[in-house]
Amino acid sequence: MAPLLEIKDLHTEIRLRRSTVHAIDGVNLTVEPGECLGIVGESGCGKTMTALSVMRLLPNGGHITGGSIVLDGQDITNLDDEAMQDVRGNLVGMIFQDPMTSLNPTMTIGDQIAESVRLHRGADKQAGLERAVEVLGLVGMPKPAERIGNFPHQLSGGMRQRVMIAMALACEPKLLIADEPTTALDVTIQKQILELLDNLRQRLGMAVILVTHDLGVIAGRADRVAVMYAGRVVETTDTTTLFANPRHPYTQALFEALPDKIVEPAGVAKRLYNIPGQPPDLTSPPQGCKFAARCRYAQDSCRETEPDLTYDVALHEYRCFFPVGEAALDAPAQDADAPTVAAAEAEAEAEATEGAVPVLATAPSVAGDGATPNGTLLKVEHLIKDFPVTAGAILQRRVGSVSAVADVSFEVPRGKTFGMVGESGCGKTTIGRLIVGLEKANAGSITFDGQDLAKLSNRGRRQHSGKIQLMFQDSYASMDPRMRVATILREPLVIQKQGSRRDQEKRIAAIMNEVGLPQAALERYPHEFSGGQRQRLGLARALVLRPSMIVADEPVSALDVSIQAQILNLMLDLQKDNGLTYLFISHDLSVVRYLSDIIGVMYLGKLVEVGPADDVYFGPVHPYTKGLIDTVPVADPLLERAKESQGVMGELPSAVAPPSGCRFRTRCPLAQDICAEQEPPLRPFTAKGHLAACHFPLREPEADAGAPAVAEKTTASGGQ
Amino acid sequence: MIAFFVRRLLQAVVVILLVTMITFALLRAIPGNVAIAILGPTAYRNPATIAQFDATYGFNKPWFDQYFLWLGHLAQGNLGYSWKLNQSVASLLGNRLPKTVILVGISTIIALIVAIPIGVYQAVRRNKAADYTFTALSFLFYAAPTFFVGTVMILVFADELHLFGPEGPQGGLVSDFTDWKDLTLPVVTLALVTFALFSRYMRSSTLDNITEDYVRTARAKGASERRVLIRHVLRNSLIPIATLVGLNIPLIVSGALITESVFNYPGMGYLFFQAAQQQDYPTLLGVLIVVAIATVIGSLVADIAYAVLDPRVRYVSS
Repeated sequence: MAPLLEIKDLHTEIRLRRSTVHAIDGVNLTVEPGECLGIVGESGCGKTMTALSVMRLLPNGGHITGGSIVLDGQDITNLDDEAMQDVRGNLVGMIFQDPMTSLNPTMTIGDQIAESVRLHRGADKQAGLERAVEVLGLVGMPKPAERIGNFPHQLSGGMRQRVMIAMALACEPKLLIADEPTTALDVTIQKQILELLDNLRQRLGMAVILVTHDLGVIAGRADRVAVMYAGRVVETTDTTTLFANPRHPYTQALFEALPDKIVEPAGVAKRLYNIPGQPPDLTSPPQGCKFAARCRYAQDSCRETEPDLTYDVALHEYRCFFPVGEAALDAPAQDADAPTVAAAEAEAEAEATEGAVPVLATAPSVAGDGATPNGTLLKVEHLIKDFPVTAGAILQRRVGSVSAVADVSFEVPRGKTFGMVGESGCGKTTIGRLIVGLEKANAGSITFDGQDLAKLSNRGRRQHSGKIQLMFQDSYASMDPRMRVATILREPLVIQKQGSRRDQEKRIAAIMNEVGLPQAALERYPHEFSGGQRQRLGLARALVLRPSMIVADEPVSALDVSIQAQILNLMLDLQKDNGLTYLFISHDLSVVRYLSDIIGVMYLGKLVEVGPADDVYFGPVHPYTKGLIDTVPVADPLLERAKESQGVMGELPSAVAPPSGCRFRTRCPLAQDICAEQEPPLRPFTAKGHLAACHFPLREPEADAGAPAVAEKTTASGGQ
Repeated sequence: MIAFFVRRLLQAVVVILLVTMITFALLRAIPGNVAIAILGPTAYRNPATIAQFDATYGFNKPWFDQYFLWLGHLAQGNLGYSWKLNQSVASLLGNRLPKTVILVGISTIIALIVAIPIGVYQAVRRNKAADYTFTALSFLFYAAPTFFVGTVMILVFADELHLFGPEGPQGGLVSDFTDWKDLTLPVVTLALVTFALFSRYMRSSTLDNITEDYVRTARAKGASERRVLIRHVLRNSLIPIATLVGLNIPLIVSGALITESVFNYPGMGYLFFQAAQQQDYPTLLGVLIVVAIATVIGSLVADIAYAVLDPRVRYVSS
C-alpha cells in the first residue's frame, strides 16, 4: 500500500532580516494510513517546522526550498494557496499546543467547529452546527448541544483541547497532526486527551503525527518514532525497538537524561546523563554530523562528513558512523568501529558511576522523624490559607473563598529534599509562598530553624527571608530585563545589607562559579542567555544569600530534557556542597522522585499522602497517588502499554466549594458514602513515616505502624 | 448586565459632580470681575452698581454657597443665564449642541470607515511601500494642528477650487443638511485628524492579532486569507478601537472647538471659544458640564461596545 504521507528530502528555510535559518535540512518521513508516527526532539530541532511545512503554515519568511511532500497520492509541495486551502482542514487536520490561545476568543466553539464543515463541505450554518454537535460528542464533550453556544474562556483547559480536536476532525481528515497536544495541560488531563486521540485514530482509521518533546508520551502512543536533531531525522524505527535499542548516540543520550529510568533508591542520587552544550545554531549549521559537538563518541571523521542514513534492519534507520547499541542480527557487522564504541561507552559508564554521588551519608530519609541526625529544619503545622473571592468594583463584597491550603502539616529534615506533587490548583505553590513569607497564613504555624515565623518582628522577618529563597519556573519573567546579571545577583545582598560592595562582588563571582557560568556573563542582560543558563541564574540568585533552604517552584518544567538533566545535577551538587534543604514543587512525579527524599502529595489544598520517596512512589496508599503515578507517561513502551488503570478521571473540582469529607471522593474509584461524610485523617502506614489520608487505602497499615484510634474505621479496603 | 449598567451610571453621577466642583472653582479662580465684564469697563467707577449686580446674582456670597445655588439650579435643569448673550444657557446649548453632535458624529464615523480598512491593509502589507505611505500620511495629519489643516482646506478647496464653502452652515440643524457643501470642509478637517489616530491603533491592533495562535488555527482549517482577516482578525482587533473611540470623545470635542472656530461653525465649540473670551461664566460652565457628561457617556459606550465585542468581559460582569 502506498504511504499516506511521504516526505522526501525536505528543505525548509526561514529568511530573517540578516540571516537564514535552515530549519529543516533534508528530512525523509513516511506515514502509513492509520499509523501513529511520533516525532521527538528538543526545542528548535525542526519537529514543529516539519509539521508546519506539510500544512504550509510556515511563519513569515518561511519557504520550502527543496524536496517533495506527497499526501494521499498528490504532490502538495507546489500547490497554490487556493488548492492548499482545500487540503488544510479537509485532508489534514492539525491541533496545537495551547488550546486557550489557539481558539478564537470572540467566536462560539460551535461556530468555530462548523467553520471547517462549511468551508469544505459547503454546509449551511444549520448543518454545520449539527455536525459540530456530532463531533463534540465524539470527542467526549458532555452535553454537546448545550455547549456549542459557549465561548472558549467558559471551558476548562482539557475541554478546550477537546474542542481543538473536534475542529480538526470535523471533516474526517486522513491525517491528523498533533503538535505538542498535551504540553500545556495537567498530567491527568494529558492522559485523557492522549487516550481520546488513540481511540479516535482507531475508530476513524486516520493516521496521526504526534509531535512532542516528551518521550513518555511517545512511548505509549506511537507505532513508529522519528528522532529529530538540528533539522534532520537522525533515527527512525518502530517504538519498541527505538526504546529497547537506540542506535544513534543522541537518542541514547536523550534516554539517559531522563530521570524515569533511575533505579537506585531515592536519596542515593545517580547523576543523570548530561548532554553537554546546546543544539547548533541553524543559521550556520556545522559541517559533518550536526550532533558531533555534543556527542561523546564523536571522531574527527564525524566533524568532516555528514553520515548518510544507515539501515540496520529494513525499518531501522539512523545517521551515525559509530552507532551505539546492538546491531540487529541480519545487519552487516561494523567490526572496525565496534572496539572504539565499546571503549568509549565503557569510559562513559565509568564516568557515570563516578558521578553517582550519594547525597546522604545516612540511610534513606525518614519523614517527620525528629531523630534524624541533623534535626528538622522546617515544620509546618495545620497550615490554612483561604483567598477571598470578591465581587463589585468598589465595595469588594466577599462572596466566598478559595480554600487553597487546608490544614496541611509536614516536616522537612535539614539537608533533605521534600518533593511536593499535585495537579495545578492543588495549593502546592501557595504553600511555597507561605513558607517564604510572600503570603500570610490564615491559621497554623510555620516553624523554621526553631523559630515560629508568625512571631517574628519585622526585622526578624527580613532576616528570615534571607534564609529561605525562591527559585521560579520562568526565570526570564522573574528577572528585571533592564538589569545586568551583576545587579540582579547583588540586589539580595544589598537589601540584606550584607558586607561591603567588594565583599558582595566577591560573593557574586563565587556564586557564578558554583552554578557553572562564566564571569563575563555578569555584564550581560537576562535575554542574552538560553533557558538552561537562565535557570542557572535563577539558582545563583537564590543562593547568593547562602540560604539554608530553597523553595524551588517547578524549576525544570519549562526546560528540554537535556537541560533539565543539567539543572537537576547542579541542584544535587549544590545540595551536597552546601548542605541545602529543598522544597521541590513539581507536577512531574518522576522528577520529584528522582530528586526527593520525602514526597508529599497534595490534592485540592490537602496533603493526602506523605512519606519516604520510594515508599510513596512504589507503594502508594492513597488512590489519588496511585492514579497520578499511573497517569504520568513513562518512557518505556512496554510499561506504558501494560498500564491498565485509567489514571485519574475527570477534572479538578472548584476550590471555592470543595467536596465535603474527602476532597478526592468525586474522582475516586473507591469512594463510598463515608467519604462524603467524614474527612479521613492522615494516619501512619509504616513505622518509617509513611502517612496517608484515606478511608479505603490501597493497602492496610503495617502492624508496627503505630495505629492511632482512627485506624479502626478502616474496615473495608477498596474492594470495588 | 443591568446591574453592571446601573453601577456604571452611579459612578458617572459621582464623576460629573466632581467635575462641576473643580470647574466651578477653577473658573472663579480666574482673575477678572464678572460685574465689570458684564457692565462694561466704566462700571468700576460706580461701586454701588457693582455691589447691586453682585447681590442680584449672588456674587457677594461665599463661593461654595454660589456653587450649591448653581448646583440646585442645575438639578432643576436650569443651567443659568448668559448676560453676555442675553439668553438662557439651556436654550443656547439646545441650539448649538445638536450642531456639534452632527459635526463630531459624521466625522468620527467617516474616520472609522476609512481608518479600519486602511489599518488592516497596513498590517497585512507591513513594512511594504503602502504601509510606509499611510504611516507617513497619518503622522502628518496627527502632527498638524487642526487650525492649520482647516486653513489649508479653506485655501485649497474653497478659495482656489471653489468646490466647497469656506464657512460652515450658519443656520439651525436643518441647514447642515441643506447646505451640505458648507459642512463638508469642517467634517473632513476633523475626520482627517481623527483618522490619523484611529488608523495607527487599528494597524497595531491588527498586527497583534494576526500573529495570534487562533489565526493559525483558522488557517489550518483551510480558511482563505480573506476569510481569516474578516471573520477572525477583524473583530478581535476592533476591541481596543472601541475603547479608544469612547475615550477619545472629549478629544474629538476639543478638536471640534478649533474646527468650529476656523469655519465659524455655530456649534458648542465655537460657543465655548467666544464665552471664554468674554468671561461668560454661566455659558462656560454649561459647556463644560455637557463635555463632562459626553466624556462619561463616551466611556460608558466604550464599556458596552467592549462587552458586545468581547464575550470574556460580558461574562465577568454578570
